[in-house]
Amino acid sequence: MKRLYQLTALALLAGAAPSFAQETRPILQKYTPAANGQLLALNIPRTVAVGEAPVDVSVSGKVTDEKGDALPGVSVVVKGTTQGTTTDGTGSFKINAPTANATLVFSFVGYAKKEVPIGGQSTLTVTLTPDDQTLNEVVVVGYGSQLKKEITGAVQTVSAQEIKDLPVSQIGQKLQGRLAGVQINQTTGKPGQGINIRIRGQVSVSAGSDPLYVIDGFPITGNIGQLNPDEIDDISILKDAASTSLYGSRAANGVVLITTKKGKPGQTNVSFNTYAGIQKVPVRGRVKMLNAVEFAQYKKEYYEDQGQAVPDIFQNPAQYEGKDNDWYGALLREAPVQSYNLNISSNTAKSNTSLVAGYFNQQGVVLNNVYKRYSLRMNTNFNVSDKVTVGFNLAPSYVFDNTPRTDGDRGTGILFNALHTWPVYPIYDANGELTKVNQLPGNTGNIFAYPNWVRAANELTNETKNINLLSNAYVQYKPVKGLTLRSSINVEYLNSKFFFFNPSTATNFINVPIPTTAVSIRQATENISWLNENLATYNRSFNDHNFELLAGFTNQHYRQDFSRIEANTYADDRLPTIQGALNINRGGTNNGVNEWALTSYLSRLTYNYKGKYLFTAAIRSDGSSRFGANNQYGTFPSASVGWVVSDEEFLKPIQQISFAKLRTSYGIIGNNNIGNYSQYALVNNTTNAVFGNNVATGAVVTTLANPNLGWETTKQFDAGLDLGLFNDRIQFVYDFYTKRTTNLLYNVQIPQEAGFGFFTDNIGEIKFWGHEFSLTSRNTTGRLKWTTNANISFNRNIVTALAPGIDRVYGTFHITQVGQPFGQFYGMVKQGYYQNADELKNSPVIPGRSAVGTIKFKDVNGDGVITYGGDQDDRAIIGSPFPKFTYGLVNSFQYGKFDMSVTGSGSFGNQLWVRHLYSTANLDGVFNLVAGVKDRFRVNKDGGVITPGAGQFGVSNGGGNFTGVERDWNSSQFLANASYFTIKNITLGYNIGAFDKYFKSARLYASIQQVYVFTKYRGGPNPETSAQGDGNGDGGNLSQGVDLSNYPVPRTYTLGINLNF
Amino acid sequence: MNKKLIATWILGIALTGCSKDFLTAVPETALSSATFFKTQADFQQAVNGAYVPLRPIFNERWWILGELHSDNAYYARNTLFGAVDPTENIADFAIPTANGVTANDNVLQQYRYDYQIIARANQVLALIDGVTFDSDATKNNLKGQTLFLRGFAYFQLVRLFGKVPLHLLPVTGRNDAALPLSTADEINAQIEKDLMAAIPLLPNKAKQEAGRATSGAAKTLLANLYLVQKKWAQVETLMRDVITNDGYSLMPDYDNAFSFSASNKNNPESVFEVQYLEGSAGYNGNLIYRIVPTPITSAELGAITGTSNPQGLSGENNMIPTPDVIAAYEPGDKRKDISIGFVTLSQSLRDNKVYPYVKKFARPHALHQNTGTNWAVYRYAEVLLFMAEALNEQGKAAEAATFLNQVRTRAGLAATKAASQADMRTAIYQERRVELAFEAKRWFDLVRTGRVKEVITAYGARVKANPLNYYFPAGAIPPPNAFTILDDYYGLPAVEAALTPNF
Repeated sequence: MKRLYQLTALALLAGAAPSFAQETRPILQKYTPAANGQLLALNIPRTVAVGEAPVDVSVSGKVTDEKGDALPGVSVVVKGTTQGTTTDGTGSFKINAPTANATLVFSFVGYAKKEVPIGGQSTLTVTLTPDDQTLNEVVVVGYGSQLKKEITGAVQTVSAQEIKDLPVSQIGQKLQGRLAGVQINQTTGKPGQGINIRIRGQVSVSAGSDPLYVIDGFPITGNIGQLNPDEIDDISILKDAASTSLYGSRAANGVVLITTKKGKPGQTNVSFNTYAGIQKVPVRGRVKMLNAVEFAQYKKEYYEDQGQAVPDIFQNPAQYEGKDNDWYGALLREAPVQSYNLNISSNTAKSNTSLVAGYFNQQGVVLNNVYKRYSLRMNTNFNVSDKVTVGFNLAPSYVFDNTPRTDGDRGTGILFNALHTWPVYPIYDANGELTKVNQLPGNTGNIFAYPNWVRAANELTNETKNINLLSNAYVQYKPVKGLTLRSSINVEYLNSKFFFFNPSTATNFINVPIPTTAVSIRQATENISWLNENLATYNRSFNDHNFELLAGFTNQHYRQDFSRIEANTYADDRLPTIQGALNINRGGTNNGVNEWALTSYLSRLTYNYKGKYLFTAAIRSDGSSRFGANNQYGTFPSASVGWVVSDEEFLKPIQQISFAKLRTSYGIIGNNNIGNYSQYALVNNTTNAVFGNNVATGAVVTTLANPNLGWETTKQFDAGLDLGLFNDRIQFVYDFYTKRTTNLLYNVQIPQEAGFGFFTDNIGEIKFWGHEFSLTSRNTTGRLKWTTNANISFNRNIVTALAPGIDRVYGTFHITQVGQPFGQFYGMVKQGYYQNADELKNSPVIPGRSAVGTIKFKDVNGDGVITYGGDQDDRAIIGSPFPKFTYGLVNSFQYGKFDMSVTGSGSFGNQLWVRHLYSTANLDGVFNLVAGVKDRFRVNKDGGVITPGAGQFGVSNGGGNFTGVERDWNSSQFLANASYFTIKNITLGYNIGAFDKYFKSARLYASIQQVYVFTKYRGGPNPETSAQGDGNGDGGNLSQGVDLSNYPVPRTYTLGINLNF
Repeated sequence: MNKKLIATWILGIALTGCSKDFLTAVPETALSSATFFKTQADFQQAVNGAYVPLRPIFNERWWILGELHSDNAYYARNTLFGAVDPTENIADFAIPTANGVTANDNVLQQYRYDYQIIARANQVLALIDGVTFDSDATKNNLKGQTLFLRGFAYFQLVRLFGKVPLHLLPVTGRNDAALPLSTADEINAQIEKDLMAAIPLLPNKAKQEAGRATSGAAKTLLANLYLVQKKWAQVETLMRDVITNDGYSLMPDYDNAFSFSASNKNNPESVFEVQYLEGSAGYNGNLIYRIVPTPITSAELGAITGTSNPQGLSGENNMIPTPDVIAAYEPGDKRKDISIGFVTLSQSLRDNKVYPYVKKFARPHALHQNTGTNWAVYRYAEVLLFMAEALNEQGKAAEAATFLNQVRTRAGLAATKAASQADMRTAIYQERRVELAFEAKRWFDLVRTGRVKEVITAYGARVKANPLNYYFPAGAIPPPNAFTILDDYYGLPAVEAALTPNF
C-alpha cells in the first residue's frame, strides 16, 4: 500500500502520467524516455519482456466507408493501449505505434469496429462497414453497466450524438419524440422550465410523479433542467421494475440515468460547438380574441339586447377602426438565443479527463425575460495502479433567470390577463407613453381595473440566481480478479437567491389600482445533499456460466434551509431594499428547514448461460426518515429473465431474423415523495386571538398525525420482445407492462366535522397497463443513408380503490372515481342551446335559469331537471387529460457531406380544460371575449330570437341567472381536443472537413426548433401545456390537463457550427 | 494486504452506518402535537386559538345566514355582474336543496368554522385535566371559556341545521372523523350541559379580560337556548340573575351600543362580542365592505368609511335594508337614523340611484378594507328583551313591559301601549326587529316563533310585485324560483355529505 502512494507522488512530480507495470518490478525501470525527449505514456503490455526496448513506428493512412467516401472522426487506437487519434476531415490519420507488429483498432459510431495489424506497413487504407451489431453496445444500468444484448429489463438509451444539434436549454426537450412509453410535454415556453416527463403514464394522487434523475450514479435532488445538455454523454431510461428496483423507494416513477462526458480513448480532443438563433411565437395558434371594433360592437349589441342604453363609448364601434390594441401580442418579441460549448478531453494510460465549459444565453420571447447559464464540468479519473482507480467529477454552474410573471391565472399571469383586457384600452397614451391603468365607469360593465401588462413585464423584477455544484469522488479497488470494491462520496449543493420587486407603477394582477403598494420578496435557499455509496461487485465465469454479484450499502442525507423576507410600502421605487420599506409583512416573512435521510442496502445477482439464458434478481431495502415510526423500512425486490431465441439452433435457418430476445420481469418498487414531515401532527402557534385591543398568542393543531405512514408500493410486470431483422437493418422493440400501485399517499379528505379537512394516509389502488412499440429502420444504406426511428405507446390507468367509504374525489372540474381512469374531466354535457320556446318547454331545464338561447345541458340522470352538484347531479365524465397514445418519429438522412434530421412528437385523444374560457367566454362582457362570441345566440329583450348563432355561445342578456350557468357550471364547453403532432426539429448539416491544419473537422448546420404544430386545439398556442388545477389552490395530480395560458413555446431558427481541433 | 484492505473498507462502511438518529428528521420550524399540550401556557394558547374562527364567521357568513335570509335585508341587483349565486340564493329564498343537502357555499363555510371551534375545544377539554396549573382559578377559567365556545358553536349549528354530528372528543384519524347526525334534542342537551358547567367556572365581566367569555355571556347563551325551547321560567331565572348581578347597563346613546373601529369595545352594554383589530397584522374585519350597496365609486365609498384611500367596489355581494324594515321603525325612533343611512350610487342602473345601507356598522377607520369594529353577539338590550319575552309568555305582561320600556326609552320612544299577552308578544317581536336589526337575529326569531312561511311569503309577494322597490333596475326581476324554499333549516352542506356516510 505504501508503494502505491510513492507511485502517485512520483507521477505527480514527473508532471506527466507515468506508466506502471506489475508491482513486482523496480519502479524506475518503467520510465521510457522517447527519442524526442518526451515521456511516453504507454501501458506496456504484459507480454512485453522486461528490458525489451520498444520501437516507435509511425503509421498513417486513410479511413473510408464502404462506398470509398472519407470518414472523418473515426477513432484509431493502438490495441491494448489507450494511445490513439481520430481521423481528420479527409479521413486521414497519423499515429505512433510501439511496435511494428501492433494492431490498430478503428471504431466509429454506426460502423463495425475493425482491427488491422500494422504488419510493418507505414500507410494503411481501411474500409469500415456499417455495424449491424449495435446490440454489442454497453448500456449503463443502475449501479453498473451491461451488454445491451444481455439486458433483461425495459431500458431505452439515447446517446449524445443523436440529440446534439437541438437548440434548446434542457435535456428533456431534446428527448421529445425519441422514447417509447415516456411522455414528455413542454408545458411552458419559459426558458429553462416546464418539461414534464412521465414514464409509463405514471401518476400518483399526491406524491410526485417525476422520474428519479441519477447523474453519474448520484440521485440528484435539484432541477435537471439546469444541467447543461452538452455535458451529457448518454442517457438510459429505466422503465420496468427489474431495472429500477435497485432504486427502491424512489423507483416507482422510473429512473433516468445520465452519464456525463469522459475522455474517449485517443489523443487529446478539443471541440467547440456554438449556435445562435432567433425565436419568435407564430401567430397561428394564438387565441383569437375580439379586436377593438368587434368588441365595441359586441358591447353595443349586449346593451341593445338587454333593452338598455348603450354607453357612449360603444355607440359607434367604427371609431375604433385602426385603434386596436393587441395586449397579448404586445408582450411578445423576437428574441435571440446563443450557446457556446468548449469540450476538451484527454485519455492517457493513467488519467482520463474531460472538460466541458458552456455558456448559454436565451432571451425570452416575452419582454424582459432572460435565461443565462454558465457551466463547467471536469471529470477526471486516475489509474493509481492496476488495481486502484480514483475519480473526481466537479460540475459548478451558475444560472441567472429573470422571468416576468407570465404563467398563472385568475388574474395573476400577465399573458392570461392580456387575453382578458379590453382591446379598446390603449397600450400607449397620446404622448407615446405606456398607460398605467385603464378603467371605465361601472355602467360600461367594466368591473375591474386593468393595469398595463407591458409595464408589468418590464418593470417587475422576478429573478433567480442559482449556484449549483454537483461533485463525485470515488475510489475503486480491484483486490482480486473479478472483485471490484468502490466507495464514493457525492455532494450536491444549491444556493438559490430569489428577488422579486413590484414597484408602485405596475402589477401583474387584474383589478389592482395603480399606483399600487410596492412589494419586495427576497428568498434565500440552500440545499445540501450528500450520498455515500459503498459497492462490491464480483464477476465470475466458468464454462459457459457467467455471474455477477453486487452488494452495497448507501446513506443519503438532504437538508434545505430557506428564509424569506417580504416587505412592502416603499417610499421610493428606486430603492427596493428591506430598509427602504415602511412595513415588513410578517405573514410573508419566514424561514424553514426541510430534511430527509435514507439508509439503504442493495444487492443484485446477474447470471447467464452462454449469453443466451439470462437471469437477474435484485433487492433493495430503504430506511427513510419520511416513513412513520411504525413503518420505517421498506424492501423492494425484483427478478427478470431473458432468452436470446436467435441463438438457438432452430432459429438459425431463418436468415431474416438476425436477433430475437424475449424477456420478462416482475418487481416491487416504491414512491417516497410523500413530503418530509407528513407523519407528524403540526401545531401552529400564530393563530392569534384578539381581546379588546390586545393580541393573544393562539395555538391550534393544524394536521393529524399518522405514525403508520409509508411509501407508495408499485408491483410491476413487464414482458418484452427485442427483434432484429434483415441483418439488424430493422430493429423492433415491444413491451407490455402492468403496474398496480397501492398504498397511495393521499391527503384523504375527511368530513370537516372532525375539525380537520384531511388525513394523510396510504390508501387506494391504481392499475396501469400499456404497450410500447419502437422501430428503427435503416431504409436506405447506399449513398443516401436514411434511417427512421418511430415509436408509439399506449398507456392506460384505472382507479380500482380509494379510501374505504370513498369512491370518488372531486376537484373543481375533475373527478377521480373508482372504476374510471384517474383525474377525469367532470362536468355537464353541453347539448347546444334552447332554440325556441317549444324546445324549452319540452326539454329538461334548470328551474328559474333556462331560457331560449341559454345553454342546454344533458339530463344525465334522467330526472327531468338539470342540476349541478348535490344528489341530483347531472354531471358526467366529459373528457380525459390522458392521451390514448403518444408517438414520435425521427428521420435521419445522410448524403455525402450533408446530413439532415427531422424529429416529431405527438399525442392523440386527450383534452385540455381551457381556463381562460371561464372568463373570455363570459357573456356578461366583463372581459375581452374570444372571437367566436360574434356568432352567439341572440334574443331581444322580449325573448324574440334575433339569431341562433353558430351553436358555440349563448345569449348575453339576462345577467347572472342566465349567463351565469354557461360560465359557472363546468361543462364540455370548456374542453378542447388537445391532440397534436409537432415537428419539433429540422436540422440540416454540412461537413466541411478539415479546412486548415488546426481544424480536424468542421460541420455547419441550420436548425428550426418547434417547426410546426399540427393540431385542432383551440385553447391557445400550446397543446402540450398541462397545469394542475384552477390555479387557485385546487391543484395536485388529481386535476391535471388545465391550460392556464402559459408562456408560448417559440419557434427557433438557428445556425450552428461544430469544430474539432 | 488485500484482506486488510477489505476489512478496513468494511469497517469504514460500518462506521458510517445507520443509527436510529440518522433516520429521524423532525420538523424544526413547527411545533408538533408530541411536544405541545404539556404546560399551562400551551392550554392558554390553545383556548385562544379556539376563539379565532369567530372572526371569519361573523365577518363573512353569519349575517348572510341570519339577516340577509329574512325580510330585513336584500341585495342590490346589478345586472352587469352576476357571479354571486350563493349569496343571492339565500336572499331570494331559492337555495337549491335536495334530500336535505345544499351546495351553497355560505352554508358550507359556516358549518366548517363551527366545527373548527368544536375540534379545538375538544382538544383542550380532553387533555387539560392531565396538566397541573398554577391555580385552579386559571384552569377553571380556561375550561369555562372552552365549554362556552363549544356550546356556542353547537348552538349556531343546531339553529341552522336542526341536526348535526355531535363530536365531544378529538378526532384521531379517518375512522372517527364522521359521526351520525344527532337530533336537536341531543345537541341541545349537550349545549345545556356545557353551559351549566361553564357558568360556575367562569368569572363575571368585571373580573374577566375584556372580550373573553364571561359567566354573564354563558348565562345569556343558555337563556337563548331555553328561549328557543320555550322554557320560559329558566329564561327568566337566568336573565334576572344577569340583570341583577352582572353589572350590565344600556349605553345612553344607541349609537354607542356598538363598537367603533378602535374604541368603545366591550362597553357596559356588551355581553359578548367578537373581537377585531384594525391594522395590517390580519386580525381585522371588513364587514362594511361586504354589505355596502354597489357599484360604488371610491368617492361614494370614502364618504361612508372615512378612509383616505378608498377604491370603488362592484358586484352584488351585499346586504342592504329592505323598505320593510325601514318602514318598521316607529316615528321618532332614534335608532332609525343611527341604523340606516342612504347613499347615491352614480353608477347604478336604476333611475333612482339612492340606496340605503347599514349605517350602524359603518364606522370611520383608516385603512381600506380593514376595520376593527367588533360584532355584538349579545347586548344587554337583548337580555332585557329576553326577560320581557320570558315574563310575557308566563302571563306576566305588565312586568314584561318594564323591561321592554327600558329599551324603548333609550330609543326615544314612549312606553309600550301593549297590555294583553298577545299584544305584548307582538310588541316584543317588533322591538326585537328594530333594536336588533342587521345583527343576524331576525331569521332565527322567525324560525323559533314559527312565522317563516307567514312573513316570508308576504315579503316575497311584495318583492315580486314591485321589484323596483327592492333595488332592481328597470326591467330586471327576481329569478323565477325566488321565495320558493321556505324551510326552517338550511340543508346540510353537500361537500360534507359527500364525505360522510351519515347524511
